[in-house]
Amino acid sequence: MNKTAFHCSLAAALVVGMAAAPVAAADTLRAVPVDATGPFNDPESEVWDQAPAVTVSLNPQQVTRPHHADIAVTELTVRAVNNGNWVGILIEWDDDTRDDWFVTDAFGDQVAVQFPVEGPASPMMGNPGGKVNILQWRAAFQRDLVDGEPDIRDLYPYALVDVYPDEVLRVTDARAFAGAMGVDNPVARPFESPVLEQMAEGWSSLTVKPMQHADGWGVWEDGTWRVAITRPANQIMPGDPDLSRGTETQAAFAVWDGGNREVGGRKSWSGWIDLKVEE
Amino acid sequence: MSRVYNWQLGREMDYPFEGVRPEKQFAMIFDTNKCIACQTCTVACKTTWTSGRGQEHMLWNNVETKPYGYYPLGWDVNILDQHGVQEMDGPEYQGKTLFEAAPDGEIVLGYTPDDEDWAYPNIGEDDCTGSMEQGALLTMPHMQWMYYLPRICNHCTYPACLSACPRQSIYKRPEDGIVLLDQQRCRGYRECVKGCPYKKVMFNSVTRVSEKCIGCYPAIENNRQTQCTITCIGKIRLQGFISRPDEIREDNPMDYLIHVAKIGKPLYPQFGLEPNTFYIPPIHVPPQYLRQMFGWGVEDAIDTYKRASEDPQLLGAMLLFGATPEIIHHFKVEGRNVIGYDDKRAEVVRVPMREPIYMRVEYDSDLDVHRTNVT
Repeated sequence: MNKTAFHCSLAAALVVGMAAAPVAAADTLRAVPVDATGPFNDPESEVWDQAPAVTVSLNPQQVTRPHHADIAVTELTVRAVNNGNWVGILIEWDDDTRDDWFVTDAFGDQVAVQFPVEGPASPMMGNPGGKVNILQWRAAFQRDLVDGEPDIRDLYPYALVDVYPDEVLRVTDARAFAGAMGVDNPVARPFESPVLEQMAEGWSSLTVKPMQHADGWGVWEDGTWRVAITRPANQIMPGDPDLSRGTETQAAFAVWDGGNREVGGRKSWSGWIDLKVEE
Repeated sequence: MSRVYNWQLGREMDYPFEGVRPEKQFAMIFDTNKCIACQTCTVACKTTWTSGRGQEHMLWNNVETKPYGYYPLGWDVNILDQHGVQEMDGPEYQGKTLFEAAPDGEIVLGYTPDDEDWAYPNIGEDDCTGSMEQGALLTMPHMQWMYYLPRICNHCTYPACLSACPRQSIYKRPEDGIVLLDQQRCRGYRECVKGCPYKKVMFNSVTRVSEKCIGCYPAIENNRQTQCTITCIGKIRLQGFISRPDEIREDNPMDYLIHVAKIGKPLYPQFGLEPNTFYIPPIHVPPQYLRQMFGWGVEDAIDTYKRASEDPQLLGAMLLFGATPEIIHHFKVEGRNVIGYDDKRAEVVRVPMREPIYMRVEYDSDLDVHRTNVT
């Protein structure tokens, strides 16, 4: 299969996408200075009361296929704080259902915030030469941290299984039977945080960073998700965004409503929002 | 979109990638007339590849009873219903492929099965289309009928799963055309599950990524046929490589059965994926049903199959089914035998064209017994 041709068509679509990108009616997102210790991973902390809320409009991703015109989430409320060492973003949106587990026809709720890292980057996951840093919070992975990773009887209470390879084989021999887990697929293996820190340079290039510095947590209550996402303000590794005090940069957002079968490119997204990390 | 040639449809069609055929293409032929749905293939595959966590429901190989068996539930009638009535009368397909019928925003027309749809692999087992009148005699084709359809991934020339993946986690190997899903790259979006009309990509709820039949590639790389093929007690399968449509070799048993004798027919060719598993249609089933499932030419295929004894080449190729675990690249009928050769033209199997018959006398005077079986 010719991937070059595919990438060329992607690049062409990207230009169209940027030109057609809807202008989000959002004020500058001010990461206000707060006198509090980080990381800011508690969505119910009082620290967020100090930050002004900005409304971010979302539109369906419709530049690359597949897409989902009938998205569920069209608006986010966003707040930001910083203490010089950590930057925190609080994202809130309406969602009637908490979707936090996976079977074939069940998809999880997710939200992501993205920062430009290098070069002029497309708000839609960057572009070749335009790197972005993406912090993605996933409801199902948070549930794992609370309840433990589900086994087959958590998902299907009446499942009958006689024996698994990992019960009778040595660890190294059983790996071959563990599918994605056996090759350390980052979405299959457990993490210490529900927020996954990633890089992208355009569609289909999303890559989990080998070192994870971001964190966060989400709370669903009365039809609303409140999700805090936080990361160090200063660059630690190559590819990190600079969010140190005084920096003026940008942020973009994406949301997936699992109950509406939104996953991957089937999502709602925003254009770039100006972000000021205040001193 | 590129324009690619689909020999099964006799025309070019749209596909998201350029049409690059592999050096050789994994293929399999099933003789549906011989399958008894013993599920030995299913169990062989299951114990070899899908005994892990999250794979409990997975049957990369399954055998379903047609017309009322499905795994997952209703897989073919669901997509046929969405696809709608299409013109299909050969030699060139007039209807739309699933790529050409894709709605706005989609790469391919498809649907995501419900989770519960995977829970009934034996539904419809042995169910006939209806009951017979008292005293009725069966005629051909049968008035009421059923048959068994063994299925694996078709390792399509134009896979819908591959084209639907936004991360390009699925790839087709240039050396043998096997379609694989990269377990490290997949992020479990399930676009492949939705896109594959044969529903042969399955979601693992424990690892949270999708998985599929791997064509037993470690065996293939060692010139050995797949587990489902070599364990088949009915010898209904032959696995090998089908040549490119412009490089057909009559001494390749796959080519002979599919391209020369034309008794092996693709499964739902109208979908446009150019699937590479082929079926000898059941001789007792009404041709209207078979045309929908295997495309035009089923009546001719059945006629040729019934007269296989008149064509030594055809009979020879069919006698290679289940004759050896080795992959047969060449074959030759020589005297009373058909001989199968590997890719280096070394003989791997020799099968008599006609089984020798030994007759014994009905009465054994030494033992003073009468025999009920004398052959």
